[in-house]
Amino acid sequence: MAIVNLQNVTYKYPLTDVPVLQNINLQVEEGEFVAVIGPNGAGKSTLCYTLAGFIPHFFKGELTGTVEVAGIESHNSVLSEWVLNVGLAFQNPFNQISGAKYTVFEELAFGLENIGIPREEMMRRVEDAMKLTGISDLAERSPYSLSGGQQQRVALTSILVMQPRVLVLDEPTSQMDPIGTREVFGVIHNMAERGMTVILVEHKVEWIAQFADRVIALKDGEILLDGPPSEVLTSSLLPSNGFGISRYTSVARKAKEMGIWNGERLPVTLDEAVNGFRSAVPKEEISGARTK
Amino acid sequence: MKIEIKDLHFTYPTGVEALRGISLMVETGEQVAIVGQNGAGKTTLVKHLNGLLQPSRGQVLIGDWDTTKHSVAKLASRVGYVFQNPDEQLFSRNVGAEVAFGPKNLGFEDERIRELVNDALALTQLLDKTETNPYDLSATWRKMVAFASILSMDTDILILDEPTTGQDAVNVARIAHVLVELRKRGKTVITITHDIDFCAENFERVIAMSQGKILLDGKANDVLGQDEILASTYVDPPQLTRLAKRLGLKNTVRNQEEFLNALKK
Amino acid sequence: MTHERLSYYLKRDSFLHQLNPLTKIILALSIILISFISPAYWTSLALWLLVIVPLSFLGKVWREFFISATRLILPAAGFIFIMQALFQPVGENVIFRFWFLDVTQESLFFAFRISTRIAVMISAFTLLLMTTHPSELMSDLSRRGLPGQFAYVVISSLQIIPQMQAKAQTIISAQRSRGMDTQSSFLRRVSGILPLVAPLVFGSLVEVEERAIAIEARGFTSTRPKTFLREIQDTSFDRALRRALVACVILILILRIWLS
Repeated sequence: MAIVNLQNVTYKYPLTDVPVLQNINLQVEEGEFVAVIGPNGAGKSTLCYTLAGFIPHFFKGELTGTVEVAGIESHNSVLSEWVLNVGLAFQNPFNQISGAKYTVFEELAFGLENIGIPREEMMRRVEDAMKLTGISDLAERSPYSLSGGQQQRVALTSILVMQPRVLVLDEPTSQMDPIGTREVFGVIHNMAERGMTVILVEHKVEWIAQFADRVIALKDGEILLDGPPSEVLTSSLLPSNGFGISRYTSVARKAKEMGIWNGERLPVTLDEAVNGFRSAVPKEEISGARTK
Repeated sequence: MKIEIKDLHFTYPTGVEALRGISLMVETGEQVAIVGQNGAGKTTLVKHLNGLLQPSRGQVLIGDWDTTKHSVAKLASRVGYVFQNPDEQLFSRNVGAEVAFGPKNLGFEDERIRELVNDALALTQLLDKTETNPYDLSATWRKMVAFASILSMDTDILILDEPTTGQDAVNVARIAHVLVELRKRGKTVITITHDIDFCAENFERVIAMSQGKILLDGKANDVLGQDEILASTYVDPPQLTRLAKRLGLKNTVRNQEEFLNALKK
Repeated sequence: MTHERLSYYLKRDSFLHQLNPLTKIILALSIILISFISPAYWTSLALWLLVIVPLSFLGKVWREFFISATRLILPAAGFIFIMQALFQPVGENVIFRFWFLDVTQESLFFAFRISTRIAVMISAFTLLLMTTHPSELMSDLSRRGLPGQFAYVVISSLQIIPQMQAKAQTIISAQRSRGMDTQSSFLRRVSGILPLVAPLVFGSLVEVEERAIAIEARGFTSTRPKTFLREIQDTSFDRALRRALVACVILILILRIWLS
């Protein structure tokens, strides 16, 4: 049975007429890594809030349909219990710091204190989680003294210590520089490898193509496409609907029109693009030593 | 209007040496992208261009003005600076008033203000939102409002700090379109960006910074092809540059057109 | 954004540091209450010299304490002394006259009493904050039944001040870059308040909502019994000291009522 099960979910924010989510049907299996893409205003963050229980328990408005995680319906739960199953992290790392703690170690223990985890277990969980995300060396630092990438890893770790069954991430790298992005994706990939169910909203298509099992394209609150990355990310529906796509895909599509793309399917990643274009490269354009 | 930076050093009161000898000339109408990891000194550098920071050593000239001799408010007539986070500057009741704030401060005639506001809103495709409260717009549109509120000041020089952060493909295309228009008008643009593909596709000159110094400065193709030096400041070359390199193409390419041209030969 | 130190707390190993946080709060409050209740005008000065200063040595924070005394406590007390001496319209015995203001013997006494009281108050709190880790303070109070939300608000506002300052600085920079003259006439300054305050307020609202989501995501409103990472000891000495302090305050209160 799917761990996440959304049926006919429609949601309107208070004081608005147009639903932000419209008739969403979505099943996610345990251990699946699902990426969600979409232009601004497609309803991506709203979907995250719905999965994480903040709709309907934090934001009011009108939610219809059923949202079920691990067999429990969100209407029948309270937020503080729901978050034990679904962890949420989002864009701005700075605003995810509790502000009530002076060291990273204390910050990570904050959630465990709230839900009454005994002290010995609390310390063990924090230490294990820090090892997993590679931030053990930051334990005694102030969360405010860290770089953006470090802060975001602290935010992710502070959710992981709660040991949720599903991780919902709303554009966690959008405010990161390239190093920060790499660090954060490293952590997410690691979690997915360990069998955690991950639902990730992300613009960076090249990363999604490498890691996700499945991609959902959201547009105007509706699911436009749902399938494996190689299919969804190369669909011709994406560019015409305002989605960002990989430069590899767009250049190969153009090359195909010109008759110089020999690949079977349009590429999303660098490796796929290299394979597809290899035979199309004229000899005189190649420099002496071919670099790998 | 020319920008001239001579042996610029800057040390923060905390003792952090953020800039360590920057010399740079930017000619009228040039569009320059600055790349490099966080902490490389990019923002510290551009804050010297409108006097928000004053050199610890060296000199910054905006046209014939030395930045130490003019106030920030005065320099604002020559250098417009779009901050990264729009929420740290928007305050007006509607988009039109917000965009008029800058030109009003510069003391322009009412008629000119109206024209400039209209032009800035048209460029950023905000005309239909003139009467909207900026805070009723999404974060991505707020960023466009902040951009428009600097465009309307009609400065010869524009500084953009991470214009594409948090923007989707459609808005990035809108920003690129504004850059094209600014090029036609002969405006100088200096952009800080982590978005290396955006940088490759829209800028002719690229500067890579690391640890308070300029690592590379030159034509985009020359700079973006130096993958080993760029790696030292944690910048990956653009996707198509990497692809061309992997395929063994002898010339560095940075956009779709250059890539396909190389294959067509 | 590189503030490692966000509180006045100084990590030391001292008698004062080892006291239970509640004991220290009661100690600070007792000193302040006594200084305010006691009828003798010299009480506050005596408390400062004979209790607070020795305590700063006992807490091994005397160096930092004297720095803050010269930078904050003395100037504040001095300012209050001058204002009170000049503007307190009491007494007949004019000692000297400054412009149209009379400084009387009574107003000097009054000023002395008020300013030393203020000095004692600031000093007592400074010592409390220097020797008590804020997390320990809040953990201890929460354990004693202080609502979690209340403790959170107090401690997070302590941390938020430096962040707000940095944000205000950025806003000022952004508006100056739009040609706003922040150094000009009073009238223009007044009209310049909105562009500075509105982004600060709105930005804070966004932040507060996001932070609320972030802490809710970590079970902040959970009704399960809370646990604490920090173990805080409360010895029999602590309990005895607290009782003694309360008794002391009551004694002086009785003395005051009886004398008047």
